[in-house]
Amino acid sequence: MIDEEAAFAGRDKCAVVGIGSTAFSRDSGRSVLSLATEASLAALADAGLSPSDVDGVVRCEQDTVTPYSLAAALGVTDLSFWADTGPGGVAPCMMMGLAMGAILSGQAKTVLAFRSLNGRSEARLGAGVPGMGGERVGGFGRYDEYYLPYGLITAGQTFALMAQRHMIEYGTTQEQLGAVALACRDAANATPHAQMHDKPLSMEQYLGSRMISSPLRLFDFCLESDGACAVVITSAERARDLPKHPVLIRAVAGGAPPDRRVGMMFPVVTRQDMTDLGGRRAGQTLWKRAGVGPADMDCAQIYDCFTISVILQLEAYGFCAKGEGGPFAASGAIRYGGRLPINTAGGHLSEGYVHGMNHIVEAVRQLRGEGVRQVPDAELALCTGGPLPIGSSVVFRRA
Amino acid sequence: MAALLPYTADRETGRFFEAAAEGKLVFRACNACNHALHPPTAHCPYCQSWDTGWRESNGVGRLHAWTVVAHQIHPAFPAPYTLVVVELEDAPEVRLMGRLDGAPALHPGQRMQVWFEKLDDGAALPQWRPASEP
Ligand SMILES: [Zn+2]
Repeated sequence: MIDEEAAFAGRDKCAVVGIGSTAFSRDSGRSVLSLATEASLAALADAGLSPSDVDGVVRCEQDTVTPYSLAAALGVTDLSFWADTGPGGVAPCMMMGLAMGAILSGQAKTVLAFRSLNGRSEARLGAGVPGMGGERVGGFGRYDEYYLPYGLITAGQTFALMAQRHMIEYGTTQEQLGAVALACRDAANATPHAQMHDKPLSMEQYLGSRMISSPLRLFDFCLESDGACAVVITSAERARDLPKHPVLIRAVAGGAPPDRRVGMMFPVVTRQDMTDLGGRRAGQTLWKRAGVGPADMDCAQIYDCFTISVILQLEAYGFCAKGEGGPFAASGAIRYGGRLPINTAGGHLSEGYVHGMNHIVEAVRQLRGEGVRQVPDAELALCTGGPLPIGSSVVFRRA
Repeated sequence: MAALLPYTADRETGRFFEAAAEGKLVFRACNACNHALHPPTAHCPYCQSWDTGWRESNGVGRLHAWTVVAHQIHPAFPAPYTLVVVELEDAPEVRLMGRLDGAPALHPGQRMQVWFEKLDDGAALPQWRPASEP
């Protein structure tokens, strides 16, 4: 059991004080360590701090840059806390939890959280799960032997099965999936650094795009990007003395669905309800800890590996009822000017794919009033992590 | 291009592939509370028993979901092909994968029948094909 008093005690006690990103591209021409270093230096400069102020580094377990290497490359002289979290895109929101835990327990004062990948030029995430090139697949706790030999290889195919099931059960339509793609593209077209900037997308173009794994088409898939993002977290008290307006970590929560299955991503298709996400449990805990609800959010950065991921999370986090994510998305609510603008820089579908970390950066920009497509007077923002096999989430608040 | 061969000697899942090579479809279940356990584990999380074992299925299932893969990822699986998720009739907690060539017409809840695909190395993979309604 989680100690509720302790969970609430963390509310607004830590803050993001620096954000940094590299350019997002199809080929960075640089190592992931160089990308991580550049993003981290940018985040530290933004925070008015230097590498010697950092004593903690947290990362995604799929990153090939280790906390120690990044600290060494930056010139961090006093690394005393480090941790990995995941899996995959679930990591960034949980990194906020790790940083908070380290700071509030006195294990670190200034924590750097980062994600760096050459997701297009070196290690394409859409190419299938790692280890697929070997003679045998699966085994040793991975359980992939039940899936890979059949040709179920990618996240896109897994989410396609979930999307098709959502269509069968709730009548979700192709146009409703398309509404998510268009909302993200619309945001990217207002955002010069977005990879899909200046590339308008119409519903006609969306519906005419080639099928990848039915019912998911080309524009239902996120980008594969080279790039890195980093953020600096410290105590709210210390944040007051730093140059940028602090963005408080209001609450962090993870969650697993009631029907838990061993293994990583693929066994989700075995769940009795494969469209029920861990995010539903994460959301219940999150709103309780944050003392606010979905209706209070001024914007949301929702993990969008695929369009269906957004629809399922709109339901899971309580923005609409189960099964109504499609109509909610198509209503215009998720567009700029709507009730819940999402992925205001374009998200993974159109800004770039930094595995959830660019969503944290954009949430902070919005609450500082630094968004390119700024939501007026934004005070509260939800950020979510990758939806499978478990969920993670953060509420940020403008101090 | 050779198929992606499953690792068949895993301590939790090996029996599934051993049985498939014998032409049998098996799933793991708890002997204490009878809950099916899939993907298989030696310990039952529903009643905390370690008394678990393998049971044979009658090999009939219902189509739960499918996707037509149009964009080829791996040379062992030429597109288009259809991935199916089949729910066992005699153990609905268990859903297994199958692959059909091309893009056949399918409908939710369709009755499916298991068959066993022989792999290059003598191993076998349970697969599914549409069955006639009883
Ligand atoms: Zn049991």
